[in-house]
Amino acid sequence: MRRWIMTAFASLWLVGCGEQAWQTKDISGLMPPLAFELVDENGNTVNAERFLGKSTLLFFGFTHCPDVCPTTLARLDAATQRMDEAARDDIQVLFVSVDPRRDDPETLRTYTDAFGPRFIGLTGDKEALEELTRRYRVTYGYGEEDSNGNYDVSHSSAVFAFNDQGEARLLIRDSDPMEAMVADLERLAGDT
Amino acid sequence: MSLTPLARLPRMARPWCGIFLLLIGTSGTLSAAELKVNEARLRLLPGDLPAAGYFILVNPSETNITLTGADSPAFGNVMMHRTVNQDGVTRMQPVAQIELAAGEQIEFAPGGYHLMLMKRTRSLAIGDDIEVTLFFANGQQQSITFRAVSPTIQ
Repeated sequence: MRRWIMTAFASLWLVGCGEQAWQTKDISGLMPPLAFELVDENGNTVNAERFLGKSTLLFFGFTHCPDVCPTTLARLDAATQRMDEAARDDIQVLFVSVDPRRDDPETLRTYTDAFGPRFIGLTGDKEALEELTRRYRVTYGYGEEDSNGNYDVSHSSAVFAFNDQGEARLLIRDSDPMEAMVADLERLAGDT
Repeated sequence: MSLTPLARLPRMARPWCGIFLLLIGTSGTLSAAELKVNEARLRLLPGDLPAAGYFILVNPSETNITLTGADSPAFGNVMMHRTVNQDGVTRMQPVAQIELAAGEQIEFAPGGYHLMLMKRTRSLAIGDDIEVTLFFANGQQQSITFRAVSPTIQ
């Protein structure tokens, strides 16, 4: 009986494997390839071609965000830590700040360094950010300033994943299980 | 030349003295709900970026309580916040108070309720213990020690 159950599970697993279905949301062909012109952590203007050759995870946020942004970045870190070393080295995370008023290159560099060398901070002027967020149908907005001059920035919490050619592949959400993320990122790293 | 029981007495009596003092000290707040705090941690970001405080507050008492805010000598400003996600867009909402019924617990956790701690009054490092006081509507206060953790800790 036990053996029968094991066999049943094994065949289910093989079927799943054969289909090679993504476990997070597949956006292949639904979103345009990676393209932008932004400012990097060193204050240099960079475009998307500079990041081709590795799989890219694109996330919009801001550094004065104590809860959601570090949680998402920590999840991405945890997922990459679970990957094979070779696959892990194929992943880079672009953290695009939609709060350029507070996030200068230096703040961004210190912030992304806290998560590891795979994390790269980018930002841009209003025009560049609007163009990029419109391209991926992402919204963001600024809350009212409080008496301390602090304000909230609402933003999309999903992570866009692109293969090493910059082609859109996945939308990873906070609700996606860790195992699904790890499996998809490993597959993405082998996707050329 | 072993110690006589008499010589050891003060040492043995010390805990009892402590408990006695504690009873005197808390006699004025006997009506207060006895609360428990678990897993208190403070996720520290670099520089003076706001930190997030997470913990589980348990109210095993038979009294309903209302959490109204928090304070810390290590920060100039501490706020209660809640992250809300609407149609894939997240934002933070200030929270004025949270009701905690008798026997219930509330979790301050990533993606939900959290303390936002801003404007450090001293430099803080991962591994530091940070004092935070919780305030309740009945005037009760609860001191908690948060451990500062790396942002990559979930």
